[in-house]
Amino acid sequence: MTIRHGLLALLTQGPRYGYQLRAEFEASTGATWPLNIGQVYTTLSRMERDGLVAPGEQDEQGRVVYDITEKGRAELDLWFATPVRQADRPRDELVIKLAMAMTAPGVDVARVVQAQRSATMRTLQELTRAKRGAGVAQRLVLDSMIFQAEAEQRWLAHCEAVLAASPKEGA
Amino acid sequence: MTSPDPEPGTPAAVVVRLAEVGRRHGDGAGAVHALKGVSLDVAAGELVAVMGPSGSGKSTLLNLAGGLDRPTSGDVEVEGVALAGLPAADLAALRRRNVGYVFQDLNLIPSLTAAENVMLPRELDGVRTARAREEARAALEEVGADDLADRFPEEMSGGQRQRVAIARALVGERRLLLADEPTGAVDTLVGDEILGILRGRAEAGAAVLVVTHEPRYAAWADRVVFLKDGRLVDSAAAGLVSAR
Repeated sequence: MTIRHGLLALLTQGPRYGYQLRAEFEASTGATWPLNIGQVYTTLSRMERDGLVAPGEQDEQGRVVYDITEKGRAELDLWFATPVRQADRPRDELVIKLAMAMTAPGVDVARVVQAQRSATMRTLQELTRAKRGAGVAQRLVLDSMIFQAEAEQRWLAHCEAVLAASPKEGA
Repeated sequence: MTSPDPEPGTPAAVVVRLAEVGRRHGDGAGAVHALKGVSLDVAAGELVAVMGPSGSGKSTLLNLAGGLDRPTSGDVEVEGVALAGLPAADLAALRRRNVGYVFQDLNLIPSLTAAENVMLPRELDGVRTARAREEARAALEEVGADDLADRFPEEMSGGQRQRVAIARALVGERRLLLADEPTGAVDTLVGDEILGILRGRAEAGAAVLVVTHEPRYAAWADRVVFLKDGRLVDSAAAGLVSAR
């Protein structure tokens, strides 16, 4: 449940309003993960219920600042200490598409691969452009996406080599 | 008076042009076609990356673009000059003045300091030592290696040597920069910095052609072209090719 941990992490810098949390969350993830304000308030009220954050007084405009509790800090420490498991990722459409392209008659697999390589390369170019002039936190987020896109490129190049060495049966 | 800047919106000048370039090694049945009818323009201000597996002809393409090798068919032009008609001495002069190279094996001279390595091509051009030294300082500064000026190659890390080799390619306002796997074995942070330097050079008006097999570095380019079995598969056109 990463939005809640992201908000907790921001609250360690001091009490924040909901709208501030939203803006800072987006800024630190390089705007790659947009949040709507509703998600922020829903998450805050659940965390309040669970004792992870505590609301302060309402100001004259009816806004409430939230602060992190001791329990919230313990939860956050545990989150930082726990590695993320790859198995939680959803099924990869591209892998399924290529496997199907191999078995379906009349599909030019090499062309499917090249089209994907070009598209992923354009994504990589956009991410690389965004990285120039980004702050350190944003840069790390963009780098993560760059490494993932790069892994896909490598895999596609590998597919190409495998296909060249052993063409599709019946082709 | 210097000539005025080109009108905004006018296409930038083509610095290197390959037109239907082929390169064959050997003859008859045993001939190997390293490149087959490759056409590619790189304009001033543009960074183009060539990707492809080893043996796809990447390095051959770069050597032809820089006049280090001659094509067996087609034409190569640098700054509007057709290389095919040039006598060897003129070709060598054009290479020295207009083209900067960063090779895979950096070819730094072990007995010269970083500054002396960078100065060397300018001194070969007949530039006086004091001025060559000044230009070398500026080029080293551009790649963030000014503190390495007095070190010998064996006193530098791999990434530092890479920077010095790039400074040597940049020195003296060359308008065409050719780099063959310029990131070598450096880690990704240094690799990104190297591509950042090449990118900056393109933005300052050079035409830059980079050969790499690493997608993350190709992604710094304005245009990425894929080379396969000696032919270009333009990334933009890849989806438009007829199925027939």
